[in-house]
Amino acid sequence: MSNVPPAVVLLCGALLLPLLPRWARSLAFLLFSVVTLALLLRLEEGSSTSLRFLAFDLVPMQVDRLSLAFGYVFVLITFLGGIYSIYLQDTGQQVAALIYAGSSLGVLFAGDLFTLFVYWELMAVASAFLVLARRTERSRRAGTRYLLVHLFGGSVLLAGILWHFTDTGSLLFDRFDYGPAAYLILFSFSLNGAIPPLHAWLADAYPEGTITGSVFLSAFTTKTAVYVLARGFAGWDFLVWAGVIMAIYGVVFAVLENDIRRLLAYHIISQVGYMVTAVGLGTEAAINGATAHAFSHILYKGLLFMGAGAVLYSTNRSKLTELGGLARAMPVALSLYMVGAFSISGFPLFSGFVSKSLVLQAAELRHEETVVLLLYLAAVGTFLHTGLKLPYFIWFGPQRDLKPGPIPWSMYAGMVLTAGMNVAIGLYPRLLYDLMPFTVDYRPYTTSHVMETIQLLTFTGLGFWFLIDKLGGKPTITLDFDWFYRKPAPFFFRVTVVLVDSLFTAAEVRTLNLARALAKACANPAQFASRFLPQSNARGGWGLDDAKVFYDPNRYRHPVGFAILVVLSCFVLLLAWNLFLG
Amino acid sequence: MRRLPLMFVCGALVFFLGVDAVILGEVGHGGFWWSHVYGFFSLFGFLGCVATILASKFFGKKWLERRENYYDPKGLHE
Repeated sequence: MSNVPPAVVLLCGALLLPLLPRWARSLAFLLFSVVTLALLLRLEEGSSTSLRFLAFDLVPMQVDRLSLAFGYVFVLITFLGGIYSIYLQDTGQQVAALIYAGSSLGVLFAGDLFTLFVYWELMAVASAFLVLARRTERSRRAGTRYLLVHLFGGSVLLAGILWHFTDTGSLLFDRFDYGPAAYLILFSFSLNGAIPPLHAWLADAYPEGTITGSVFLSAFTTKTAVYVLARGFAGWDFLVWAGVIMAIYGVVFAVLENDIRRLLAYHIISQVGYMVTAVGLGTEAAINGATAHAFSHILYKGLLFMGAGAVLYSTNRSKLTELGGLARAMPVALSLYMVGAFSISGFPLFSGFVSKSLVLQAAELRHEETVVLLLYLAAVGTFLHTGLKLPYFIWFGPQRDLKPGPIPWSMYAGMVLTAGMNVAIGLYPRLLYDLMPFTVDYRPYTTSHVMETIQLLTFTGLGFWFLIDKLGGKPTITLDFDWFYRKPAPFFFRVTVVLVDSLFTAAEVRTLNLARALAKACANPAQFASRFLPQSNARGGWGLDDAKVFYDPNRYRHPVGFAILVVLSCFVLLLAWNLFLG
Repeated sequence: MRRLPLMFVCGALVFFLGVDAVILGEVGHGGFWWSHVYGFFSLFGFLGCVATILASKFFGKKWLERRENYYDPKGLHE
């Protein structure tokens, strides 16, 4: 039993779910998550399963502390997201979420690159459905772009894997050496990890996902990328600076955003930047930091998307320019959202504080002064947007006389539990630290650390207060790297679809016209031929003048017997050839 | 512009400087030179916040902000 890959339960659950009665599906969703968690708890560190497939030695499951730590939080958010979405009666979304969670777990425990690739692609398709399932024209387009980008990334991954296999003869998923194959694989992992300039799919698609879908989206894709980067590329210096750029990039773009879920999406990029930096640092402390921050990030970002989803659900609006003054109508949602906001901002007593400081400590131990300073700057920006700007302009700020509808109890239940976990980790960091891949010898609650954080965040609040007038939403969108494929898209559509289509249409029309003309000509060949031949006169002619008047095809048709005679003669000739000459 | 009561800001600053004076005398905030400067994190928080907002707004106005229907000017996909 301990050798059953945890992904299997969720994937089989996805197949079973549509067969269950409608009322039982949400409960079954939770049951599958609980069974998966039970399986995870029984997995033994260091165990693996091998399989011979065609000519390859595969390792579909390989367990270590790194994969287990990510696995626990993946199953937790599946369960919490399942509770949040109990109200939802959409089997398609539930199935997609299960496949998405299952394939993400599959990636975590994949011991070889082939298994990884299969789950990787499955993840892309299932997650795209969570965007498409919103069933609006915008989400259809965003979901299609998302899918195309990820399928492209998957193709690059496959190319890298094949190259790697050709070079090394091994498909085992281990740390990569520098080389073209590794660069291709790194490209694909970076795309899923949303490292600029490969990040635009995230801010494009996540805000267009369904309310519950975005909760799952915020958890899996980028964090599986962090995991595979940690496993394959730990210690690559490039990632240190890529992560720092991400952390700042997300914050800068979040200032300009008007859509609350897009703003949160940019903060995913920013927070994943911390993890990528830690992976680049590559020390044991840093890998602990990346894992811990991924763990708490999944919980607090899930909570933030749940909060934003609750606002969208009850008001049907998601733009800052259309929201405001909801505090009195939605005090509970506000309180729960604020737990997520304090967590992401790294406030003492919340989860982000104990995980983010692990990353900063790892950078400090490597004496990366500029990196540490820039990550502090990203922390300032995070609190500015998620902790101050969003709550102020959604729940306070301009009064717009909105009449929000009721929020289902399951949404509250999901948010309460997720908030509880964020606080629990903040209060008892050992809950998190004991799950880390390496022993954590760090105490976050020192007077010095607490005071520097409080100073940093209090005076960020002061800056916000001074410039509050500049921070209100504006009815604009922000150009990002998706411009490079969205703007030329109509041109490429015209070249590759419209132009080709018109060429085919023209050829088809001409072919049909030709066929029609030939049919007409063949219906009366004599008349057709007579057009081009001289008329009969005293000196003779072709004798086709009568054909203009009357043409009887039977007159020129040979009897069937003639055709049979020809065929038989051919056979006789062939036979004779074989017998006498062959 | 809304203003926080000046007293609160000054009080917070004095408090943090006081705390820094006590802490930095013993252990400091970390291993870098700036982690031993009194009130560094207060100043960094404030200036970082202002710089982030102003820089983003500058980039936005200069290059990045576009009308909402930029990718769909004819409103075909709404």
